[in-house]
Amino acid sequence: MRSASQSFARAVAIGAAALAVMLALDGAAQVLPAQNAFGGPRPGAEPQIGGIVGWLLAKQSEFYREMSSTIRAAKSDGSAVWTLLAISFAYGIFHAAGPGHGKAVISSYLVANQETARRGIALSFASALMQSLVAVVIVAVCAWLLNATAKTMCGAEKAIEIASYALIAAFGFRLVWTKGGGFIGALQAPRPAVVLAAAAHHHGHDHGHYHHDHHHHDDHVHDEHCGHVHGPEPSELAGPRGWRRGFSAILTVGIRPCSGAILVLVFALAQGLFWAGIAATFVMGLGTAITVATIAVIAVSAKDLARRLSGAREGGGALFMRGVEFAAAGLVLLFGVGLLLGYIAAERVTCL
Amino acid sequence: VNNALRRLIGLLLLASPLALGAGTAQAHPHVWITASSQLIYAPDGSITGVRHAWTFDDMFTTYALQGIESKTKGVYSREELGPLAQTNVESLKEFAFFTFAKADGKKEKFLEPVDYYLEYKDDALTLYFTLPLKTPVKAKELSVEVYDPSFFIDFKLADKDPIKLVGAPAACQMKFQRPNDGTAGAQKLGEQNFLSGDNSNYGAMFANKITVDCP
Repeated sequence: MRSASQSFARAVAIGAAALAVMLALDGAAQVLPAQNAFGGPRPGAEPQIGGIVGWLLAKQSEFYREMSSTIRAAKSDGSAVWTLLAISFAYGIFHAAGPGHGKAVISSYLVANQETARRGIALSFASALMQSLVAVVIVAVCAWLLNATAKTMCGAEKAIEIASYALIAAFGFRLVWTKGGGFIGALQAPRPAVVLAAAAHHHGHDHGHYHHDHHHHDDHVHDEHCGHVHGPEPSELAGPRGWRRGFSAILTVGIRPCSGAILVLVFALAQGLFWAGIAATFVMGLGTAITVATIAVIAVSAKDLARRLSGAREGGGALFMRGVEFAAAGLVLLFGVGLLLGYIAAERVTCL
Repeated sequence: VNNALRRLIGLLLLASPLALGAGTAQAHPHVWITASSQLIYAPDGSITGVRHAWTFDDMFTTYALQGIESKTKGVYSREELGPLAQTNVESLKEFAFFTFAKADGKKEKFLEPVDYYLEYKDDALTLYFTLPLKTPVKAKELSVEVYDPSFFIDFKLADKDPIKLVGAPAACQMKFQRPNDGTAGAQKLGEQNFLSGDNSNYGAMFANKITVDCP
């Protein structure tokens, strides 16, 4: 029989896991209230998004608009560059807090894998740095070196965009492949009927015979009883090889530059202040990294909490955590495919 | 476990439409356009098209002018801007020119734009183009909305006389509404619409909306 404390622990675990998944989803979740989730027309203006998200949008919109006038001012007054950097930093923080697929992918990846908060932070910073670098390289090569037109530049951006979505989808597919094996294994081995019998009654008393009782070493929630599961060992993921996997996460997210950064860079270049634009871009990236890292840490902590609490129960906890990981892996795939097929549009490339 | 699994499956089900159906997740506008438009009427009183003049903000103007050669630095002739105007109208096609017309409640289609050119004045580019209606219509109630559903572009009607009727029958009355008008009511309605799942007309509430009533 379940004790009340166990029920409570589970409820909290579910809540924490839900939080982890929701954070991973946050890009989509935040915009949801603002628009039709089923493909209908979307609102055409800002004010309809109320509350915190609306405020975030208004703020970053404000900062963004201030950038062009500040760059202009910096032409005659050098000290305006400091203002520019401050605005860029704030813009970066706010921009990343708004809807966006980058942090959704990173958070989902962290939840899907046995990643630590520390690595979450490192990944966030690395991908933001890469994003800034890509923007600077695009503008430096296209506009500064080749004096290409906006059309050419936007062509390059579009190509990179498609590549990055394909990368996310491929990355998600790989995660689903590894995590799905584990999840299905965890489902089949003990009680295949569990899913089907997902009716209104509780089976808390049924689980005495679970073989998956891993709560003695609760960071090992994987299922070693299923020989056919090829998921990586947690130790592997945490080890040096994990960095290679982490690099794919950086690449998938970081390769796509932010349209805003490109516009700012081109504008700064035209004003003869390219270096200020570059500095602004990296400071923007720093701001973005801080926000993304915060979200990533919350996602990882929520998952840790869910794992600890569900680990206090019998084997079901392991199954539950595998499910959470699988769900997070699925999200990465969904995001990739959705972006690729245009169901989810990220920030548009500036092609007009 | 049952319970947990159920929640998990619920979460997954919840997540998939979120991830797949979230539509365009726009953070904030990157381009600002100040628009003025003319509604063009034929002598028989039917509307034949919409003529837009869209002035871009300075950041986008600079971006668009990147790499465009001109004889005199900082001065761009209509000819020099020709290829860019061409690119603009071609790109705008993908977004239905951000112009959505309804005649007596029925959606109207536009043909490819004509008479398009760019003008560079006071550090700003203005794109002029005419969208002919596929079939000119006589409408008791005509509405034209200008907005970007994904809000990458923020459309703002010009402060002074943004909308003109050209050759419209004398009895026709024109009104226009800026997106910030009546936001509170729109917000409430929007939430209701969202909850009831019927928000097919939601985005239009925040458009620059022009209505012409011809009795």
